[in-house]
Order: sequence, then structure tokens, then C-alpha cells
Amino acid sequence: MRVPETMNMENSPLAHFGRMIDHCYDYAEASKAEGRPIVGIMCEYTPREVILAAGAVPVCLCGGSLETIPAAESCLPANLCPLIKSTFGYHLRRDNPFLEWSDLVVAETTCDGKKKMFETMSETRPMHILELPQKADEPDALARWTQEVRKFKSALEGRFRVRIADGELRAAVLLMNRERDLRRRLADLMARDRPPLTGRQMLEFKSIISGIAADLEQYENAIRMFEEGAAAPGSPGDRGTVPPPVRVLMTGVPMVHGAERVIELVENCGAIVVAQESCTGLKPLLENIDADPPDLLQAIAAKYYHLPCSVMTVNERRLETLRYLSARFRPEAVIELVWHACLTYDIESRQVRRCVENDLHLPYLKIETDYSPSDSARLAVRVEALIETVRERASNDPDMRKARA
Amino acid sequence: MIGCGIDAGSRAMKVVLMEAPARRVISTARADQRPDQARLADELLERALDIAGLGRKDIGRIVGTGYGRILIPSADTTVTEITCQARGVRDLVPDVRSIVDIGGQDSKVIFLDDQGVRDFAMNDRCAAGTGQYLEMTARRLDVSLPELGRLASSSRRPAAINSLCAVFAESEIISLLAMGAATEDIAAGVFRSVTLRVAALAGLKAGPPVVFTGGAALIPGMELFLAEALDRPLTTARDPQLTAARGAALIACDQGSIS
Repeated sequence: MRVPETMNMENSPLAHFGRMIDHCYDYAEASKAEGRPIVGIMCEYTPREVILAAGAVPVCLCGGSLETIPAAESCLPANLCPLIKSTFGYHLRRDNPFLEWSDLVVAETTCDGKKKMFETMSETRPMHILELPQKADEPDALARWTQEVRKFKSALEGRFRVRIADGELRAAVLLMNRERDLRRRLADLMARDRPPLTGRQMLEFKSIISGIAADLEQYENAIRMFEEGAAAPGSPGDRGTVPPPVRVLMTGVPMVHGAERVIELVENCGAIVVAQESCTGLKPLLENIDADPPDLLQAIAAKYYHLPCSVMTVNERRLETLRYLSARFRPEAVIELVWHACLTYDIESRQVRRCVENDLHLPYLKIETDYSPSDSARLAVRVEALIETVRERASNDPDMRKARA
Repeated sequence: MIGCGIDAGSRAMKVVLMEAPARRVISTARADQRPDQARLADELLERALDIAGLGRKDIGRIVGTGYGRILIPSADTTVTEITCQARGVRDLVPDVRSIVDIGGQDSKVIFLDDQGVRDFAMNDRCAAGTGQYLEMTARRLDVSLPELGRLASSSRRPAAINSLCAVFAESEIISLLAMGAATEDIAAGVFRSVTLRVAALAGLKAGPPVVFTGGAALIPGMELFLAEALDRPLTTARDPQLTAARGAALIACDQGSIS
């Protein structure tokens, strides 16, 4: 086997995305100066293509900071998920420049916590709420959601005094398809026996602003370098470690910028996260949009409506996704992350556990926590015990021993 | 070769020395935790060696486990208390299917099959359902832990204690005392609340045989309360506070024999 070349950190694509917030700051500031509106978004259900087609810049505002939570708790209940509280804390403290630049904030009726938080935020900020139907397989649900996306397009046209023609929409679809393709190809590298990145490094390959040309170029560079045999420092491909880390599929809530503690903890315990099912991982990347359909807005709406978030009932598509990811990335265990007080993911974890244990025949561990590191040592015991269990059972089973060798 | 297991728990440190070929325990030592736990581990190790009439050089390998496992410099390696607990209990009860462990700051349920650990559940950031909560109650009622157990066992009408949080539960106990509730009923209410919390961790999955371990298993009456909460019979492990250290010693023997 050829010894992989360790990726140079100085100018690598990984280093580029390590400075992602700075790049986005510069990009948003420049866009604002050119007169392009900034549109804050807070959920993967927001059809970014429509915002891009309006000539605006969609920026993700999800909060990943523990620091802004006390401010939020002055207004919201303490027993609420940290993502909602952190995002709202920035709103109260007015110290997220992207939110302060936002000419409009777009939100959806997803979970109750977010919905009511958005309502509170809308008291002082311009906001557009898309109503998300939540019966995933109801025959008329997509038509209803498509109607919401149409109303959203009209709202953007009215607010920003533009006309969104099919040409612009198609261009935005092609741009986002390209970005999704590139990010999916990168994530696919984790299917290797010795992935060239850690899961934590993979999580770096994203941007809070979609469609930035420099980012797309760096995704391409990264794919080329990894396909030519490079490996990121500390990755299994780089270290050729024996024994190899235990392959873990992570599912559950997103780990937004700043809230990466749990994946770091998991990988420090002897695991490699080979696939992330969440909204900050593969969930939004698995389906593209047909760029030449009879009705473009409907095609856009369909892609987003298919996202398997736990707010949907029944969310069978999430279990299908897990089965697909498991076959593709060959995990040896599944770890579900649930943010404290995220009721929909917490309750749905029952179905996920059942699917993992009965269909995938893998051990399952649920981690329920928030942004505070105070329980890290206790969580590490669980993850380490899971890793020990996988290793011990593999050593008892000759077939698994061969697979792990 | 002598294998050594050191279990640095949140309330107590436990050391087990084991003779490798026979897998026989030759001596044990335990002491309450204190801030300089690295020194405490060394002292206990010396004590256990003295009892066995051995010296440091006789030890082939040391496995550290428990909450403070990374703070034992003398340990050659560390293994989590879940794996060690399972190993130690299986040595005593080979066909064990569920282990309920109530320790100082953790309570956990371990599910096993023929191959060993299959799944486990632990309490979250919260002292309810742990030994800390029992100690707090004993302090409030001004009795020792064994006395608390005897009191609880003598109650006919356990008080209702509903708080899911040990801090709030303490306020509840204060209110109950102020209302003139009998101490035995308060003690029984606390035992019931602790064991119900642990039973909730186990869900409906705790198949027999069920074995009870951890420092709380030393308290008289606890086993009966737990059996009632789980709604199934269980047995308390021999030396229930030492089972994780025993498992660590067994793993030390395994590892020492390979190298």
C-alpha cells in the first residue's frame, strides 16, 4: 500500500474551512456593500435556492455557543434545547454580525421551541415563517408545502423588489446541486477502510453561507488531494493505527459551528465517526433537485420536504436513511446525540434504537447533553464502554475479527 | 503473576489483588476517597500487598477503573467500570443477564448475553438515584447509612417523595420533617424513590438473573426495595462494592498472561 501523504496544514482546504467564519464575514460584508440583501436562515428546510435566486445571501444563524445561553434564559425557559437558546441569546445580545446584517430572517414551523422562539424574535426583526406540514407521507402535504414555497418567493420579490425568473431559479438549483455533490463526494471518502479524515475534520467542510465560489473550489481541491492519496493529520489514513478506531455512525441533532464537543469526545475515546446523519452532516446532501422539471418551485419544495427531521410524523425516511448510511459506511456502532429538551429527537430515539438493534444489528448509545462541558467525563465513560463492548464482541467472533483486521 | 485492579470510585477506592493462574482473590483493600487519590491508590495497594505478604515487584499488571481511573499513575492501562463490573460479576455469577449498580455518583444497569456486555444505561447529570442522595438523607435524618436502611425497612407507610432532583428532594425531606412525618417513613420514601429511578433506567429489559452491586448494595434493606421497584427477584453480589475492582484484576491477569 502506498503511504499517504499528510495534508499540509498551512494552505490546505481543511485550513480554509478552519477559517470559515472569517471568510463568511468578509463575504457577507462585501455582499452587503454591493447591495445584496442578507437573509438569515435557521433550519435546513429553508429552500436556499429561492433566496439565492432573489440575489440575496442565505446565512445560517444557528447558535453553537454556550456563552449566549444565560442571556436567552432571561427570556426563554431554561428547560429548552441549547441550539434554540444559543441562537436566541445572540438575538438578545445583538452580537452575531450575520444576524445584525440580516434584512430578513426566515424560519419554519418545525418544533414548538423554535416556533415560539421565532415568534418572540419577530417582535423586533423582520421575519418570514414558512408553515411546514408535518405528516411526511400525507398525499396533499407536498402541495401545501409547495404553496408555502411559492408564497415565500413572492414575499422575497416584494421585499427586495426583484422578479425571480425561472432562469435564476435554475441557476441557483444547479449551484446548490453542485455544492451538495461536492460535499457528498467528500463525505463518501469516509467509506474507506482507513478514512483520510476524522469525523471532526469532515464536520469542518461546510459553510454557513452556501454557494461561495472560493468554498466550492476548496471542496474540489480537497476531493482531488484525498483521491490522490493525501490524508489529513491524525486521520486513520494518516496514522495507519493498529488497532483501527471503531467506526461509528452518528445520528440525531445537528452539531453547529462551536458545538462540536460531542464528536470530539467520541473520537477521543477510540472511535472514528464515519458518517453523520444529522442536518450538519449528510441529511441535507442526499437528494438533489431536478433542474429541468415541469415546475421548478415544486421540484425545490419536494427536495426540502423529504428531509427526515424528527418533527415529521411518521419519520420513516430517517430510518431508511440510517439503513442506507449503514450499508454504505459500515459502522460498528451507532451513537445518537440528543440536545437536552429536544423532545422530538428524544422521543424518536426509541424508534432509532429499535432500527439500529433489530435491523442493523449494531450496538446503540444515546447521548443526551447540552453545550456545557460539565458532563464530558461522564459521557466519555459511556462512549469508552461502547468501544470496549464493540472490541470485545469482535474478538469473540471470528468473522468480525477478520473484518476488523 | 499477580494481577491488580484499582477501582477509583467517586466515594471509595477499592483494590483487589488476584493470582493469575487460579484467578483467585488474594487480598483486597478499600478506603473513602480523598482529594489526593493517586497517593491513596498507592497506600491501598501497599496495604493489600502487606496482607498478602507480597511486594510491588510481584505485580504483573495493574488495571485502573472507575470515575478517577485516569488519575492513577501506577495503572498500566484503564478500562471503564462498565466492562470491569460486567467482568467481575460474570466471574461470580456466570449466567448473569442484568447488573444493577448503585454507586456514589452513578447508577447504572448493564445488560449481558453469553458474549458479555450487550447494552447499558446510566443516570444523567443528576444525583437522584445514587448513593449521594442516600448519604444526604442519612445526614438530614442524623443516622448512619446502615441505620437508614433499618429505618426504611421498618416503615409501613413510605412517604411520597416526588422530586426528580436530589437538591429539591432535600427540601422535600425538610418539609416532611416539619410536618412531623416519621423518620422511617421518610427513609422508606427515599429508598423507594432511588430504586424507582434506577428501575426506570432498566426499563422492562432487565432479564434474570439480576445481580445488585455497588456501595449502596451494602445498605440493609436496599435489595428488597430494588427487587420491588424492578418487580423481579435479584441477588446481591458477594462483596458488592468490590466487583468492579475484581473485574479490573481479572482483566489485568488476562493482559499480563498475554504479554
